[in-house]
Amino acid sequence: MKKKALSLLLASSMVATLLAGCGSSNADTAPTTAADEETTAASDTTTAAAAEAEEATTTPAAENAVSSEPITLRMAWWGSQDRHDKTIAAIELYESLHPEITIEYEYYSFDDYFTKLNTLVASDEVWDVFQLGGNFPMYMDKIHPLDEYIDAGIVDTAKFSESNLKTTQTTDGTQLGLTNGINTYGIAYDPAMFEEAGVDLPTDTWTWDDYHKAADAIADSLGIFGSSTFLSSDFIAGCSTFIPQQGDLGQYSFFNLDLTGMGFDDPQMLTPFIQMRADMINKGSYPDAGASAEVTNIENDFLVTGEAAMTWVAVNQFPTIYDDCKEQGRTLALAPVPRYTSDGNAGAMIQSSQMLCVSEDSEQKEAAAAFISWFENDVDCNNILQAERGIPANEDVRAALSENATEGQQIMYDFVDKVSQEPMPEEYNVLSPDGQNEVQDNYLNYIQQVASGELTAEEAAQKTYDDAGAIFN
Amino acid sequence: MSTAAVAVKKNSFRKFMNSNNTVGHVFAFPFIFGFICFSLIPIIMSLYYSFTDFSLGSKQAEFIGFANFIKLFQDEVFGKSILKTLQYVAISVPLKLAFALLVAFVLTRPTRMVTLYRSLYYVPSLVGGSVAVALVWKQLFARRGLFNSLLTGVGLQKINWFGNESLAIYPLILMAVWQFGSSMIIFAAGLKEIPPEYYEAAEIDGANGPAKFFRITLPCLSPIILYNLIMQTISAFMTFTQAFIITAGGPNNATMLYALEVYNQAFKYNKMGYACAMSWIMLIVMSIITLAIFKTSRLWVFSESDEG
Amino acid sequence: MREKKLIRKIVYHVLVILFGIAMVYPVMWMISGSFKDNAEILRGTLALIPREPKMTNYATGWKGFGGTTFATFFKNSFIVSSIATFGCVLSSSLVAYALSRIRFRGRGFWFTCMLATMMLPTQVIMIPQYLIYYRLGMVPGYVPLILPYFCGQAFFIYQMMQFMQGIPRELDEAAEIDGCSKYRIYSQIILPLLKPSIVTTIIIQFYWKWDDYMGPLLYLSRPQSYTASIAIKLFADSASVTDYGAMFAMSTLSLIPVFLIFLVFNRYLVQGIGTSGLKG
Repeated sequence: MKKKALSLLLASSMVATLLAGCGSSNADTAPTTAADEETTAASDTTTAAAAEAEEATTTPAAENAVSSEPITLRMAWWGSQDRHDKTIAAIELYESLHPEITIEYEYYSFDDYFTKLNTLVASDEVWDVFQLGGNFPMYMDKIHPLDEYIDAGIVDTAKFSESNLKTTQTTDGTQLGLTNGINTYGIAYDPAMFEEAGVDLPTDTWTWDDYHKAADAIADSLGIFGSSTFLSSDFIAGCSTFIPQQGDLGQYSFFNLDLTGMGFDDPQMLTPFIQMRADMINKGSYPDAGASAEVTNIENDFLVTGEAAMTWVAVNQFPTIYDDCKEQGRTLALAPVPRYTSDGNAGAMIQSSQMLCVSEDSEQKEAAAAFISWFENDVDCNNILQAERGIPANEDVRAALSENATEGQQIMYDFVDKVSQEPMPEEYNVLSPDGQNEVQDNYLNYIQQVASGELTAEEAAQKTYDDAGAIFN
Repeated sequence: MSTAAVAVKKNSFRKFMNSNNTVGHVFAFPFIFGFICFSLIPIIMSLYYSFTDFSLGSKQAEFIGFANFIKLFQDEVFGKSILKTLQYVAISVPLKLAFALLVAFVLTRPTRMVTLYRSLYYVPSLVGGSVAVALVWKQLFARRGLFNSLLTGVGLQKINWFGNESLAIYPLILMAVWQFGSSMIIFAAGLKEIPPEYYEAAEIDGANGPAKFFRITLPCLSPIILYNLIMQTISAFMTFTQAFIITAGGPNNATMLYALEVYNQAFKYNKMGYACAMSWIMLIVMSIITLAIFKTSRLWVFSESDEG
Repeated sequence: MREKKLIRKIVYHVLVILFGIAMVYPVMWMISGSFKDNAEILRGTLALIPREPKMTNYATGWKGFGGTTFATFFKNSFIVSSIATFGCVLSSSLVAYALSRIRFRGRGFWFTCMLATMMLPTQVIMIPQYLIYYRLGMVPGYVPLILPYFCGQAFFIYQMMQFMQGIPRELDEAAEIDGCSKYRIYSQIILPLLKPSIVTTIIIQFYWKWDDYMGPLLYLSRPQSYTASIAIKLFADSASVTDYGAMFAMSTLSLIPVFLIFLVFNRYLVQGIGTSGLKG
């Protein structure tokens, strides 16, 4: 009897909670709509003001107009516990500076974030401010470009270099969002292992041939993998970078500039790379499928566990493994991605690890854009965030942070500087087309098939080329 | 209205309420309601999508006829994934059920330790497909993992489990068998339902252990065996998590179970229409297999009630 | 004779225990991992004893994210799982009674529909389903997580149907002759005799709901409303770092409630029950 009463109580209190939930959400809607009209009015004033005044005066003007009505922004991101805590602290700082703004935040792990985003895309209620990585072509319809807010002075890009801005632009220059951190690929290695094996250290202009020979020699003399796996990125940083490295600067690219087809005609340009991978697997200087399945995370990569002398990293991962190896008494270094010929193009470029965007569904686009601008530009905010998402694109922020950078972070900063000084083609595209994931997965399987002798490298190159071309049909 | 008329009306109302049709629909109402409101539309939508090029990002869906289905039959990965899924189902389901039944049977002995033992055997089924379990599993089957040190310990060759196309599926199968807990509990409940008098009568007839098992336990349990067989077959076809977290379909698609391929197509490659077409093909495959099990069940399922 | 029996008994216990240990080993590894640091977990030793056991994982794990602790997440999970399980038992037994005991038009059809709901992967169903709840104004909220469980779950409906088959029809018939309506037969005869099936439903359904993260992921949005199943996944970020220690610690804690539910209800599966009415 007692149990029955208890469960009844539980159920009724549950219903009460649910009802309360409904009520409050209804109450929320009304002021939001009111605030919405307010913002539209405010944005008119802002645009007008922007025409005659400096941005310094417009920003307060916009704030004054908006501050009378409360605004609620929805924001979401993916990441680790550390990122969640830091981002929430930054949001709280923003709310204390702008009492009229409330930010309702959600955070998820990477896969979950995109599952959630897909449902929100289907119901047209994508968060006002949201985070996107390399797969944004899929969500292009949901991104509201920032250009109008940059023109109006709401989004400040004064301290962003041209190439950093370009990391989140389409080829025609539409600014999709602001990058949370710039990034590029490199090869992390353990110099002590190179020396032990009697192999020359990587240079700034080393070639794939040097890389291949070094890996084989290390495998021979130390009995470990010369180079560890790069998982999915072997396609992006290896195979597809291999193409612009050939020919003159800007002559070839993997996909063409406006993402309507391939950027090279001869599939056999891919063959040497695929052949190299298959040879390395068979030699034991590169992990086969079974070994690479054991790597779950950059922190148990074979380089970190001491079973490989090199591994490929997105450089924002470098500080983590640098610290991990430091604890074991090893010192890692960072080398550029090898080239096709030592006097040829680097092919590597500065990319955005992820960016913040304003959603097309947002009813508070301007407030959302203003928040993004603050998030990427404000030094106090970034002192909280501590470049956890990647290297800040804003020069001042980066200067402020690099003062107390760790050793690993310092190597990362220097490396990115070096890469950004490489000559770049007049025009290049930092985006990849929707559908690249499938090409990449197939490519990785073809390499295994070449290694096991089911395919020749030429056939694998042809198949990869055809798969990539099929995206555009 | 006269009292007599009210009585008649009341009577006919009662008759109506107690007719089989009414009672059946009243009791089945929760399901019918839920099915129509929350399942039917999504099912129809998925069928419709399978004839379109629907993708999640852009929401336009263009009708493309049977193009998805034609493409499916030329898709090497899908072909491989069907074969691997059938292999996975055909091996894991019988093993899991045999194991669950054995353990449930052994653990019905009325000893005080049974609760403890049963808990021991049930715990693995409580960790599901978590990241933690994936890590353990990877390390058990790693090149220098526990299974390989056992193999080398008895003088055998090491096996590159996750690198070998024909063997990579077995760690996944073993994991499915390992998590046999829910089938075991259902069997245990079924065993408890067998009237002890049956066993007593058999003992009087002089039946020994195995004879009792085959002449009483198995027949009495056959409806539950049928149930577990059907349900485990369907859920084995739907297995996603194990493949997703442990092998991600590799090496060379050797563990690309069908549900994982659907996930890849729908979310990773952004081809929802194609994924729906794939699901419907598999729905047909599964229906045929389920139907075949039902048809053969007439031969081996014994029922207290007059119909099955 | 007695000696022989004793030996057999010892062999039985030793075998069952040894095998049980092999079964539980991976779980023990996870629990011991909750006392190790990240590096030790990832170096991949299979040893169960941590080098230097520490409780810090529990502290960092429990504090959760941005001020929302695991107390909240576990509480949410418990509420959702309890209500869903209650709904599932109630509705599934009703539907099972209709499908197994009453001949009504459309019975075979609904049974087929029920199996069909299990045969399409969630991946292709979830977005249209989400849109329905969204249009009904139930998102974000707990309703879409609970309501379907009041509509019967195919897995358990069918299970109860099979158990009902074990209940002799003579019982129903006798009751009917005594003037019992079908409604009373369900509540007075079938339901009490269905106890083992209901107990298994409670054990399994509670765990499934507790472990389910796709539902909460789609239908909840405020972090304060997250269930433990999503919260545990928040420690992992495939793109940067994963705090395995904290994740293992919270996974370990997350085992406790489901294991307790099992222990409490398992008693009903060990003691002899349900035999009284079966002599018929």
